[in-house]
Amino acid sequence: MTHLELTNISKQFGQTTVVQDFNLDVKTGEFVSFLGPSGCGKTTTLRMIAGFEVPTTGKVPLGDADITDKAPNQRNVGMVFQAYALFPNMTVAQNIGFGMRIHKEPESAIKERVTEMLALIHLEQKGNSYPAQLSGGQQQRVALARALANRPKVLLLDEPLSALDAKIRVSLRAEIRAIQRKLGITAIYVTHDQEEALSISDRIVVMFDGRIEQVGTPFEIYNFPQTAFVASFVGTLNTADAEVVDPAKKLIKIDGVSLATAEDLKGRKKGDKIKIAIRPERLNFVSVEKKANVLDCIVENITFLGSVVRIQVKIGSNRFNMDTFNNPFLELPKIGAREQVSCSHEAVIILNS
Amino acid sequence: MKRTGVIWSWFWMILGILYFFLPLVATFIFSLKAKLGVLSFLAYQQLFNDADFIKGFSYSVLWGVLTIIVGILIFFPTAYWVRIRLPQVRTAVEFVTLLPFVVPAIVFVFGLVRTFSHPPFLIVDSPALLVLAYTVLIMPYMYRSIDTGLRSIDVRTLTEAAQSLGAGWGTILFRVILPNIRVSIISGGFLGFAIVMGEYILAQYLAKPAFAPFLAYLIQQKAYEPAAATIVSIALTWACMGIIQLVGRGGTQPQIAGGH
Repeated sequence: MTHLELTNISKQFGQTTVVQDFNLDVKTGEFVSFLGPSGCGKTTTLRMIAGFEVPTTGKVPLGDADITDKAPNQRNVGMVFQAYALFPNMTVAQNIGFGMRIHKEPESAIKERVTEMLALIHLEQKGNSYPAQLSGGQQQRVALARALANRPKVLLLDEPLSALDAKIRVSLRAEIRAIQRKLGITAIYVTHDQEEALSISDRIVVMFDGRIEQVGTPFEIYNFPQTAFVASFVGTLNTADAEVVDPAKKLIKIDGVSLATAEDLKGRKKGDKIKIAIRPERLNFVSVEKKANVLDCIVENITFLGSVVRIQVKIGSNRFNMDTFNNPFLELPKIGAREQVSCSHEAVIILNS
Repeated sequence: MKRTGVIWSWFWMILGILYFFLPLVATFIFSLKAKLGVLSFLAYQQLFNDADFIKGFSYSVLWGVLTIIVGILIFFPTAYWVRIRLPQVRTAVEFVTLLPFVVPAIVFVFGLVRTFSHPPFLIVDSPALLVLAYTVLIMPYMYRSIDTGLRSIDVRTLTEAAQSLGAGWGTILFRVILPNIRVSIISGGFLGFAIVMGEYILAQYLAKPAFAPFLAYLIQQKAYEPAAATIVSIALTWACMGIIQLVGRGGTQPQIAGGH
């Protein structure tokens, strides 16, 4: 069931259009991430849902109500900020109970809810501490509890983990996801970190230059990027210019070498210039005799990345990265060696320009 | 070379202390000589028994407290609003807050008398005019002190966090922002209070009872009591400064746990 809608949303600051043609339906209990580089309009879109920015055009229906013109304090939308934004003069318990006190709920209900929230974020002993006495990770958990204590209709998270170190980020994002699942709350999460978005979301909205580039599950976004931007922004991707050879047989060629793709080439004709992409992990060195999708290459560089070894090869005029799992007993090719690499038909993605 | 530097440092420091404290010590000793041949607190006793002194002093305290309250109610929301909604007018507002330094008090008071001595603003006899005039006088100190406090916290994010939790402007201003800049507000308030306590021209020309006009009158009438009143006045100013220092020490809590 659709819970939150963003219909034809656009936002202009003076002459600058920051968000345009933004349409999205978010289902109840769904976890949706807005992913994109700085300045792509993801935070502005989030702020329009929160009410801190007013859309230039479009509507924001939430549940049964249109909240487009409502003040931020009348939307019942919970928000978690990058900078935590805990009230320094209040204890953890007072911070969590703040929203309920504003809504004049009985003190006994506030106490009960605060205890419940403290248990949810595993900070039962910190109710009387002040924000300055907590670590960054603990502060952000309190901020999450504070946003949830009001039982908001939707939870908005604006890069909540950006100020934390890598290890805490990974554990806290799992915690956020677990809490969101447990409470069944609809959540919108803004991030520029693709790994974060891929790991935490039901769906990802990839944004660039104020527009939606692609909406899909993490699996779809990673494996089937629809635009060159999504392909380049999400994960590492090899891209190359190619030419259609036989649309019916789904054949293309790169630098004169034929490649077969599993993608539909209908609507294209022989000789059309296209852009293709192949994920580094879909390329393999040819160990047995293969006839299709085999490309001659020269090994140019080898980078050890821990669990993965990244090998840069030159295929014709293109440089491709290929990733292989680290295996201490595997003999890696020498730099400068001539090798052959191949990939499956499904690995060759046709990008919409 | 290093030793010579230390000696010069001490020399300048002692010279400074003598320059500032010698007149003060001389005034204090003089204030103790009211009884012939012995040092005593007679001048202070007479001063505190003087009904006019108590009246002038009490009124100045009253004006000071009212001025601080009016100042907070005007300058705190203004500085907050300029910071969060109208950053483009900040330079203009800062210029306006400095005007009391530029306009001489005597010019200011005659401006007030001329403007507010005929309808529709006939309030020249009202104590409210004196309080409002004092509010203008303390504006550079109070506004800047509040603005500095607002700079030290993330006003915008705290505001948005409170809004998202359902808070209105009153709650945001007085329950979220104000408690977090209380040190700046108290500092500005005491500074303003000290200024009001020593202010002469406005009270004199608006014909309101206050401490400084009483002191001026006393100087013309008596010998030792003015010296005692001066010491009391300076002690009061120092007490205000001391309170500012004490409050400042217990300011916003520093981050004492790890950043992450």
